[in-house]
Amino acid sequence: MILLASSSQDDLFRWEQGVRGLAPIFCSTNLDSVRGELVRIKPNILLLDHDLPKLDGPNGISGLMKLNPETKVIVLTRAISDEIEWGLFRTGVRGCCRGDIEPEQIKNVVEAVQQGELWIRRALSWHLLNELVMITQEKNKIKQVVSDLLANLTRREYEIATLVGNGESNKQIARRLDITERTVKAHLTEVFRKLDVADRLKLALIVKGSVTPRDSTRIGH
Amino acid sequence: MQMVTVAIADADLGRRTKLEQSLQGGQGIKVLTNGMSNRSDTSIDRRLKSRTDMTAIEDVVARVTQLKPRVLFVNLNQSADEDSALLEALRLECPETLVVLLTDKSAPDEQIIQALANGARGCLNHGADPFYFLKAARMVDRGEVWVTRKMLGKIMDKVLH
Repeated sequence: MILLASSSQDDLFRWEQGVRGLAPIFCSTNLDSVRGELVRIKPNILLLDHDLPKLDGPNGISGLMKLNPETKVIVLTRAISDEIEWGLFRTGVRGCCRGDIEPEQIKNVVEAVQQGELWIRRALSWHLLNELVMITQEKNKIKQVVSDLLANLTRREYEIATLVGNGESNKQIARRLDITERTVKAHLTEVFRKLDVADRLKLALIVKGSVTPRDSTRIGH
Repeated sequence: MQMVTVAIADADLGRRTKLEQSLQGGQGIKVLTNGMSNRSDTSIDRRLKSRTDMTAIEDVVARVTQLKPRVLFVNLNQSADEDSALLEALRLECPETLVVLLTDKSAPDEQIIQALANGARGCLNHGADPFYFLKAARMVDRGEVWVTRKMLGKIMDKVLH
């Protein structure tokens, strides 16, 4: 199902012409109606007017997407800056194009997005690739820091830290390693000291490579 | 139109020669030959005869450093680790050179995304029409990326989750 959302009857008419035949079409002319339809009909595609009253930009779009995360959102806008457009993609929209787009072109956009493609201008895909590079570098840095820290643990401590990372309790670890729970606790105390963390949840996050010990101190604050 | 210098790093001589020939016909494109090691290529051996003990990665980086192409087409290897090492070395040693990956249909998307995450600016199938190699070189030279919309969708998923 495809949901079209705009307060402009002209836009809705033109968009409807474009997507006719692709799937059953529903229309909303205000935000409350869009919210209701997202929950009720669970559309595959939402064609959303960026200027829909009370939408409130990326925050509003993000809120709509939470109502049905499976819906792929395509935003139709007036001319907006690269920065604003990129902000829309960062909320998770799968396509962005001009509101005055020709009906035939709308069909292409919807079909592409339905097939898992991202309808993004080439100028913005550069941002996307840069973001991927940055995230990867950050992850590699965290991995390196974690790996250096874990290298300070003894073999037994590392073993126990890894099992904590897998969500095992002290009792389970003791049984698995054929040692007493008291010994597990003693090893863990030493692990916490060496990694400068206060509890097993933070340890688990570190072992999984999700955070560095420094980041873990911010968790829960 | 400003000339875009292009080199190809592909150990498959036949495939490389074919691509070089296709690119040479392109307006505004200048193909710099010998981007990749090939032991039967005497001109390369002559140029780098003092470096015969180099690894394949060092070899490519040395050639790219010499040739200084704006765009380098690099064949995506079977080994993701080798690709990462090469891309990392190129990023550090030849930051002005923009890498476009050459893949075949069997290349897993995850490996391509990994290579893009390591700094490649585009990706093309070996079997693509020569027109697209020329277009990709020009687009990447202009600072844009050359990746399918489908791949962009997968990259966005990776970035957001």
